[in-house]
Amino acid sequence: MLVGALLPWASTVLPGGAYPDRATLQFFDAPHLVSGFRLHLVLLGVLAALLSRARKPAGIGVAVIALVHMGFLIGLGAPSIGGPVALAGGLLLMWPGLTAPAPELKPPGPAVARLVLLVAFAALVWLVSETLTAGGQSRATNPYGGAEFLAFCGLVLALACALSAYGVLAWLAALTDRHRFFAFSVMLVCALALPFTDAGTGYWMTVASTIGVYAATAIGLNIVVGLAGLLDLGYVAFLGIGAFTAANLAHVVPFPVAALAGTATAGILGIVVGAPTLRVRGDYLAIVTLAFGEIFFRAAQNNIGGLTGGANSIPGIPPISMFGHAFDKPLGVLPAGSLYYAVTVVMVAVAMVMLVNLRHSRTGRAWAAIREDEDVARAMGVRTGRAKILAFLVGSMMAGLAGAVFAHKLGTVGYESFDFSESVTLLAAVVLGGMGTVPGAVVGASLLFVLPEKLREFSDYRLMLFGLALILIMRFRPRGLVSS
Amino acid sequence: MTLTAERVSMTFGGLVALDDVTLAVPGNRITGLIGPNGAGKTTLFNCLTGLYAPTSGRILLDGRPLAADPAQAMRGGVARTFQNIRLFPGMSALDNVLVGRHTRIKQGLLAALLHGPGFRKSEAAATERARAELEFVGLGPEGHMPARSLAYGDQRRLEIARALAGDPAVLMLDEPTAGMNGTETADISALITAIRDRGIAVVVIEHDTKFIFSLCDHVYVLVRGRMLVDGPPATVRTDPRVIEAYLGATECSK
Ligand SMILES: Nc1ncnc2c1ncn2[C@@H]1O[C@H](COP(=O)(O)OP(=O)(O)O)[C@@H](O)[C@H]1O
Ligand SMILES: [Mg+2]
Repeated sequence: MLVGALLPWASTVLPGGAYPDRATLQFFDAPHLVSGFRLHLVLLGVLAALLSRARKPAGIGVAVIALVHMGFLIGLGAPSIGGPVALAGGLLLMWPGLTAPAPELKPPGPAVARLVLLVAFAALVWLVSETLTAGGQSRATNPYGGAEFLAFCGLVLALACALSAYGVLAWLAALTDRHRFFAFSVMLVCALALPFTDAGTGYWMTVASTIGVYAATAIGLNIVVGLAGLLDLGYVAFLGIGAFTAANLAHVVPFPVAALAGTATAGILGIVVGAPTLRVRGDYLAIVTLAFGEIFFRAAQNNIGGLTGGANSIPGIPPISMFGHAFDKPLGVLPAGSLYYAVTVVMVAVAMVMLVNLRHSRTGRAWAAIREDEDVARAMGVRTGRAKILAFLVGSMMAGLAGAVFAHKLGTVGYESFDFSESVTLLAAVVLGGMGTVPGAVVGASLLFVLPEKLREFSDYRLMLFGLALILIMRFRPRGLVSS
Repeated sequence: MTLTAERVSMTFGGLVALDDVTLAVPGNRITGLIGPNGAGKTTLFNCLTGLYAPTSGRILLDGRPLAADPAQAMRGGVARTFQNIRLFPGMSALDNVLVGRHTRIKQGLLAALLHGPGFRKSEAAATERARAELEFVGLGPEGHMPARSLAYGDQRRLEIARALAGDPAVLMLDEPTAGMNGTETADISALITAIRDRGIAVVVIEHDTKFIFSLCDHVYVLVRGRMLVDGPPATVRTDPRVIEAYLGATECSK
């Protein structure tokens, strides 16, 4: 009783304005940080004080920021005084107290719904741009970059949890579903507008288009793993096949032809790999695909057939060029790399449409049935072998297309880009983001491919951080960040 | 439409599960298949639906041999349910039924990718039909709950709806009332009659002899892989061999 009465009191008194200031007192001397950590903590404190359901999310955010801080300061050899205080505050906030019931959100009229979607996606793109640029470009320009970025991620995480606690995210998802076409168009336009935000520099455009390539690949893998339930551990080989095919053809044919050739070659090899694996299931399938990935990797490494350049890679691949304009040059106000970014956005959009459309079709249901119970799917008249090959075909074609863009964008393709760890990372992106969901693969790919870019100074701990993140996500959201 | 098993034998290693079994399912009738546990009833179902290839003997659909291919059986009009409920647990009830309709839906891959008008028409028709089947078996037409979250009895009904969505001429139910109480069993019995009234031949495996004898037009008794007797319920019920071999056995086991 006593504890129950004290908790709401504790969680309203503690988080107010007072403690974040105290907590940040000893943080950094650097002046620009006032707008960083402290601002985030104050914001979260105010959030927690005003909205009771947002208390726990705010607590999570405060704890994350505090941990980032302590880790960073200890790494610098400085004692952290504010860190533990903030951590304690965050943990206190997470303490279950009395919470108001979630307000009921009614579906608005079509006009309002469209406006809401417009604002939501615009805000999302702005948030993406802020997250991308948070902490600056590299350690050279800002020694605290990594920590600032992670702290900003903590804030974003807290905001997302708070929105979710109030049912706003589910409400937005329902709106998106109702106005599917409109939402999709708005999303596309907003995504294409990224070059006009803070992230509109050549560097960030290059990073964003790399993410785009991996996101498209992850969506393809999501078809194989998420929809059809076929665990493919050698998937990155198809990205490589597309890339090497395009690289070999780049000087001979224009990009669209090279891209088509890459897509087709990857598709054919997808069938070649898929056909013998039809008899094996589950773990055995994973091992067979793993072996295929390894065969591809070793063949590329040793330049078997003379198509991969071996250890020398294939250099000097010309950039995509259309209407006499090379895609790696700036265009008007657009920074260099924007055109590649646009290409990848369109590619991701196409992949998304494919995934959604297939999922809601006879083929997609057959895949789901195979994933759930292959024997019964067969008993219901599903030609399981054909359906599985189709999944491999569609998935590998997607990766092949992404590979062709990848090759032109980078200018060189070497075998090292396609080793086992890349397959694992892609798989992690799919699982982290949410199996079978569309935004899931994109969110997962963005996280897994942007984090190493952002956290160069932590590169020694990269795999450990990955592992930690995976464990945490699987513990708290076993069905992925974006679960359906 | 008649489905027949002609002198079907099935052995697993050394075990003879079916021994020279002949059975005919006439259209528009309810046929019962009874027998003690391990008699081979489910194995016979698996042969009739193309899941197993018999060691010897043939399965005929309207006089034409049926290959050991479930997709062909489904297309030919033979649909089934399972003794241990086997739904697609993570899929919605509606999607479960739509998978049952798989062989009747015509959609190319390109159409599925583009969702053109032809595709939408086919999808709408299939969905409408699936909802109708959900209502027919007594479930709500929305069906957006995942199958695993349905009550036990509703899961059995959903399995029947899924089989019905494939436009079967013969519906094979493997112990549809297993684990149900008296009222639920009566409901299922009414449902089976309604299915027969749609012009669909029904084959029911059951342990409950009272249920079978009151419902069926014709009853087969399978004991240790052999077809012991068959005939109308009245004659089978009083056949001394049945009383000895089957009814006696269950009484003892009780
Ligand atoms: N796939 C199989 N492999 C080996 N033995 C089987 C298989 N299926 C059934 N059997 C055996 O065949 C016999 C008949 O089984 P079943 O058809 O399930 O009986 P019923 O359905 O009448 O209870 C049993 O002895 C069972 O163990
Ligand atoms: Mg059985």
